[in-house]
Amino acid sequence: MRPFRFDVARSVEDAVHRPAPGLAYLAGGTTLVDLMKLEVANPAAVLDINRLPLRGIRSDGPGLRIGALERMSAVAGHPAVTSGYPLLAEALRHSASPQVRNMASIGGNLLQRTRCGYFRDVRTGCNKRVPGSGCPAIEGENRTHAVLGTSDTCVATHPSDLAVALVALDATVLVHGAGGRRALPIADLYLLPGSTPDQETALRPGELITEVTVPALPAGTRSTYLKIRDRQSYEFALCSAAVALRMRGRVVREVRVAAGGVGTRPWRLPAVEDALTGRAPRPDVVAAAAAHAVDGARPLSQNRFKVLLLQRTITRAVLSLVDGRG
Amino acid sequence: MADSPLGRPVNRVDGRRKVTGTAAYAADQHPDRMVHGHLLVSDVGHGTIRSMDTAAARSAPGVLAVFTPFEPLALAAGAGQNWVPLQDTLVRYHGQVIGIVVADTFEQARDAAALVRTDYDETPPAASFAAGIPTATVPTGGWEPPVVDILADGVTSIDEALAASPVVVSGNYSQPSKHHNAMEPHATVADWRDGGLVVHGGTQAPAGHARSIAAALRLDPAQVRVLSPYVGGGFGNKATTWADAVVTAAAARAVGRPVKTVLTRPQTFTVTGHRSAVAQAIALGADHDGTLIALKHDAWSSLSGSGSVFESAPGTTSRMLYRTANLHVGQKVVTLDVPPSTFMRAPGEESGSFALECAMDELATALRMDPVALRLKNYATVLPGRNVPWSSKHLDECYRVGASRFGWARRRATPSAVAEGDWWVGMGMATAVYPANRFPTSVRVRLLADGTAAVSTASADLGTGMWTVLAQLGADRLGIAMDRVRPELGDSALPANFGAFGSASTAGVAPALRDAAAAAVRSLTEIAVSDERSVLHGADPAGVEYRAGALHAGGRSVTFGALLTATGHPAVEATASGGPGGPPAEYAFHSFGAHFCEVRVNRWTAELRLSRITTVVDAGTIVNPKTARNQIEGGMLFGVGQALFEGAQVEPNGRIANANLADYLIPVNADVPPMDVHFLDHPDTVFNPAGVRGVGEIGTVGVAAAIANAVFNATGRRVRDLPITVEKLL
Repeated sequence: MRPFRFDVARSVEDAVHRPAPGLAYLAGGTTLVDLMKLEVANPAAVLDINRLPLRGIRSDGPGLRIGALERMSAVAGHPAVTSGYPLLAEALRHSASPQVRNMASIGGNLLQRTRCGYFRDVRTGCNKRVPGSGCPAIEGENRTHAVLGTSDTCVATHPSDLAVALVALDATVLVHGAGGRRALPIADLYLLPGSTPDQETALRPGELITEVTVPALPAGTRSTYLKIRDRQSYEFALCSAAVALRMRGRVVREVRVAAGGVGTRPWRLPAVEDALTGRAPRPDVVAAAAAHAVDGARPLSQNRFKVLLLQRTITRAVLSLVDGRG
Repeated sequence: MADSPLGRPVNRVDGRRKVTGTAAYAADQHPDRMVHGHLLVSDVGHGTIRSMDTAAARSAPGVLAVFTPFEPLALAAGAGQNWVPLQDTLVRYHGQVIGIVVADTFEQARDAAALVRTDYDETPPAASFAAGIPTATVPTGGWEPPVVDILADGVTSIDEALAASPVVVSGNYSQPSKHHNAMEPHATVADWRDGGLVVHGGTQAPAGHARSIAAALRLDPAQVRVLSPYVGGGFGNKATTWADAVVTAAAARAVGRPVKTVLTRPQTFTVTGHRSAVAQAIALGADHDGTLIALKHDAWSSLSGSGSVFESAPGTTSRMLYRTANLHVGQKVVTLDVPPSTFMRAPGEESGSFALECAMDELATALRMDPVALRLKNYATVLPGRNVPWSSKHLDECYRVGASRFGWARRRATPSAVAEGDWWVGMGMATAVYPANRFPTSVRVRLLADGTAAVSTASADLGTGMWTVLAQLGADRLGIAMDRVRPELGDSALPANFGAFGSASTAGVAPALRDAAAAAVRSLTEIAVSDERSVLHGADPAGVEYRAGALHAGGRSVTFGALLTATGHPAVEATASGGPGGPPAEYAFHSFGAHFCEVRVNRWTAELRLSRITTVVDAGTIVNPKTARNQIEGGMLFGVGQALFEGAQVEPNGRIANANLADYLIPVNADVPPMDVHFLDHPDTVFNPAGVRGVGEIGTVGVAAAIANAVFNATGRRVRDLPITVEKLL
């Protein structure tokens, strides 16, 4: 860990008007402090934003508003979330460990960095950490890496479960910067790696996520977050599916499908949704629709199984909503 | 008379200290003027260090010294490996110790270490186990003979016997190298005082640790005292002294201050030892009725070029587990440029049982025979090749009791015959075996005038329960309440003890303690009859009986506390030693067990869940069912890790890609169902008078096979390459 300047922000205005280069905002610290100890993150200044008034979980008619500094565990257990937005609660409960969930903030969760082992080891190359230094994962240990949205410079998986659920729910993030406030659809928050994998989000320097808003799902919608992982707690997804489904009689009236653990960003799957909408979701229909999930997939030497696992995960998740099977 | 606590589920005597955080582990020690060490490790897998630029580190805040091969510490012997740290510029493997930074605080030492720039002349390491198999060699070290052939009369080769067998199954099994990952990382606090060295360090062998450090620092062993009252897990990786301890001790001598070094989690992967990667080829030949005709088991284990232990997979399992007319076991090693390979819980049995017990399941399938029935059909009553019986063997009862407790009769032989919802349900079983060991052990029993007793040996309690067992054994032999017995261990100055490994501690301590207690009572009796102040003065020693903490003769009696007080003796003590027990020529000594488990596999996503497991253990007398059960459960967890999670990812350049606890997966509570553990509790008095064998390791042996066999029963897929991850079942 390198020496750094530590300050406490007094207000949002105070925070966003500090000189941005080399400044890192500190909320729960569950990503930032780890990465500083590894010297992956070397901020010149750390600004503690925990005293900012970015709290509150409020459900009104059209949607849910979550303050960016709310902790994962608080959101997961909030009655408005468990009753009205169970998909969010489920995704949060499947994340990390209870200890991490007690510390980590919602804003920080959305901006957590990839778990790629090369990104976290400064002795190796990594285009995300040091642009131009290469990507050892492409030829190396890549079992947990992405198959969707990858480029020749980066194949790192986006790690957040919550973001997958939020992408399925068409959430919006409110951001505050020196130039004022703006709302950003969550799908637009995350960038594909392309040739600049070090640029992960559409946030401008110094911009701070202050709130997440989630529109309510229509009545009668059922949802599930299915996470497949190597062990049953404290582990990132090999593959996950966030699915919300509304039936009309025997056919699908509306469905939203997003996937995690397989993409370089949370991955919405409109082609799967289209193939299911208006159809009776028999297993063969669902499996055929799920096959669209891997359109354009680029598997690596150790993660070819994700191409099949993603289709199976979506199929299982959708069918569980259709007939209530485990 | 105090009822003997032997065989009772007594709570850990150190439990309160541990759960309240008052048990001080090595890293909790802070002697006056202590400073902190941080190791430097190599970033390349093989080659020579050309230069190390330490200028920035030396001028960093708080730094006292930086030691490297160019500014070395005085060390005379290696530790845990066949070379001496910091004495040359050779890099033997990725993550090797190449220096230490000493600074006022931990953070200063760590941050300064990051400023050291090292240049290497790199040469490619031999890091790939698979690539080394074709050039594997027959090992020269090891405890088991590398090749054993026992052939029936007239049979000239094992292959001939296999060819003549009506039913043959064969398969290749493999598993990656594994790391112990004790919760407590290796830590050393080295404190030079009064012409000697006090080392606080978690170790399985305080006396051995002191000897190794003394040799490295050219000290008389009596000048080094190791204190290790609490050890946060060892599993074989704290049986040996590693480079961190000797480098820290030498650095403390050089800077003239106590130094503490705690390994980072990644450093524990490379500075200390690990379990070999193992590949195995096994073939079983049988008659149609299930009688084994031929068993051929070959293994290739990785061995570090730095030394020193490799998995003797067939030699510890197929060599002795079943009766067979023809037997071949063969062991080769693949020597690699990797960190030291060492003991890890059930070294040999862990891997060997995976291949053997899966192959037995494959044979049962081929024969359409129940897997338990097949094992009973080939039940060994004498050790193959030596034709001696076991001192005590109740494996058949393990099978019977385990099958009954588990509900094995409900198993369907056909794979994928049982499903609940979207989950296939399968059952599997396997045998466990582990040798009964006994190592040189001395125990001192000291009776004090205040009516208490101290029971002492330089052993260790690495979570095993030895603090408690020592108190129980002392209370039992002296006939007094446990709270009047003070156990002492974890100190190299105590009576010699080989250390806590090989599941041998209780079997070593119990007979030595018995002899020491008897000798102490003889000394007590001598005082009682000869001292005029004694109420038993003048009694015939042969007529004095010791019972329930008191001497009795001629209708009079006196407690040892009252006698010692009356006669002005602060204490009376005796030390006794026991060595390896039993006549090996007449008996074989092993513990046995059987595992039965149930798994569920999702038909869509191939997720695997262990849903039930029953284990029955035949390990002689159980001194404390609570701590013993704890040991077996911990062992079983290692087996679950072997089956489902664990494995180092060694890259071509020798870097371990998953050298941390986020990427190197071990089971969490959510992965493990309640474990049903049952002990048969048949005393093995041939092995030692106390009838105890050991329980540290046998719980691990066979678990992976039981799980893999259950996976086959659930899905029809035979996974022979561990761990069983989702892609192998999709």
